[in-house]
Amino acid sequence: MKSFFRMTYPYILWIGIFIVAPMLMILLYAVTRSGNSTLTFQFTLDNFAKFFSDPDFMKVLWTSLRIAFITTVFCILIGYPAALFIANLSERTQTLMVLLLTLPMWINMLLKTYAWRGILMNFDMESEVKVFIGMVYDFLPYMIIQIHTAIAKLDRELLTASYDLGANKWQSFLKVTLPLSVPGIISGITLVFLPAVSSFVIPKLLGGGNYVLIGNLIEKYFLVAGDWNFGSAISLIMALIIIGSMWLTKKIDRNAEEE
Amino acid sequence: MKKILSVLLILALAAGLLLTSALGEETEDFGGVTLNVFNWGEYIDSDMSVIRNFEKKYNCRVNYKTYESNEILYTQIIAGDSWDILVPSDYMIERLIREKKLQPIDKSIVTNLDLLADGVKNLDFDPDNTYMVPYLWQTVGIVYDTTKIDPEKVEEKGWRIFQDPEYAGHTYMYDSERDAFMIAFKSLGYSANTENEDEIMAAYEWLLEMNSAVHPSYVTDEVIDAMAEGYKWLALVYSGDAAYILSENEDMAYCTPKEGTNVAVDAMVIPANATNPRLANLFIKYILDYDASLEISEDVGYASANAEVLAELSGPGGTYEGNAAYVPRGGYELDEFYHDNEVLRTRLSDLWFKVMSAN
Repeated sequence: MKSFFRMTYPYILWIGIFIVAPMLMILLYAVTRSGNSTLTFQFTLDNFAKFFSDPDFMKVLWTSLRIAFITTVFCILIGYPAALFIANLSERTQTLMVLLLTLPMWINMLLKTYAWRGILMNFDMESEVKVFIGMVYDFLPYMIIQIHTAIAKLDRELLTASYDLGANKWQSFLKVTLPLSVPGIISGITLVFLPAVSSFVIPKLLGGGNYVLIGNLIEKYFLVAGDWNFGSAISLIMALIIIGSMWLTKKIDRNAEEE
Repeated sequence: MKKILSVLLILALAAGLLLTSALGEETEDFGGVTLNVFNWGEYIDSDMSVIRNFEKKYNCRVNYKTYESNEILYTQIIAGDSWDILVPSDYMIERLIREKKLQPIDKSIVTNLDLLADGVKNLDFDPDNTYMVPYLWQTVGIVYDTTKIDPEKVEEKGWRIFQDPEYAGHTYMYDSERDAFMIAFKSLGYSANTENEDEIMAAYEWLLEMNSAVHPSYVTDEVIDAMAEGYKWLALVYSGDAAYILSENEDMAYCTPKEGTNVAVDAMVIPANATNPRLANLFIKYILDYDASLEISEDVGYASANAEVLAELSGPGGTYEGNAAYVPRGGYELDEFYHDNEVLRTRLSDLWFKVMSAN
């Protein structure tokens, strides 16, 4: 056991250097003032005050959350029936369908988005609709695969029992299949909502440059304005939101399991 | 007889050698040493023959890398990376000089500074080329579709054409706070480098009005292909990119508004910690000379710093003959360089995203 534990040292080192240390640096930048070249740290909460006191920053945050939320809802609405359909096929066809689903994920996301831009350019529609088409397209496979896994491992005998007890197909779905596939939906949400909140490339490319999202802001303050302190503060706020939503989904998941 | 012949042959060879070294350029053998060059992406002839010829000429190896923004370049310098040649823009060079990160150009090697075009001579951030030698240069201007917009109207309205509701949904604005605020400042008659809060707020109002009047798409480099394809009627574009758009689409025209604009110069500098300063100076001289300058400017489409090349490419039979965007307006009193100013930079960033998200 002890030697087994020793095998995790490289991993701990890896996490320390590449995950913990950068996070701590972001934290340090976020709570200090710029002009640290002389290495005198002036601690301040100004960066956070700046963010939360300005309605325009809040608007950007709200837009990011809204886009991510709507994307997730559409992914569930389209993904669930698709997953249900796939789960009811023969085993061999299921493998093939899942393979077909994962196939587009082998292609670089930028490439796919540029392709969508070419296609959607010919249609006259709200740029917001274009953004959602691109976002849902990109994130849908994650949702389908998660839900499909949950439904596929469901014990078929439960449905037979449900029919035996007089429930029709719809009732059986509502009382058996749906509750038991909630963990799949939850992990689907985790895989879709979280990356969608911080995604900015798709809205940028498909939205005709009419969206400022939280990801764009972070990029701006680091690379253009050169204000690393404020950029770090936004990143930290972002990280806290993500941790918060992960905690929330975990909690819902646990509650669902207990029921 | 045989002996005489061989003596003659040797003499002829020696004479030939002497002649070529007298007539041809002086060259030097650097024994395969490496020169580290850090330049903008897509900022040299696409087959890199300019670099290959330099390697042959001085028997050296050029390690050629590219970057995408002055700020990324700056971060690399701060991190302590050693380069022999960098090609930052004017305001970044100003900052690097101030922070003592550059070494002087050796003018006993770079003897061809008289080749510089008028527009890039005596630049205010380094008037006598102590630290930098211009590479390519450009202005910011308006590209528009002549089948949709009357050229006279563009000339007359200048930057205010971006506030004309007639072009709502048909306009691209460059997603760069510095350039966007520059057109607002210039349109209002202020300096592009103003720090006056009232003037900044006036420019902010100007941009908000632009945003609500034309609902521009905020873009970066994708504007180049989009305008070449003619997707929209009006766009804010750098003259070097405009030269490409105009050569691809003959309906497009270029205008440098009379209210003044930004002139940007990218110039070669040698960092203080360069390992091969002598070879770096030779590189600068080589690039500024006619052959390399011609090759680079013709391929990239940005205006050459070499006066002769500029005249050649825009003159009769030149690649950019009749292309209004190739030669930037030089020496115009209202045109300005950007100056590096950290406070202004943050202030403009704070306001710019508000303009963009005001839809």
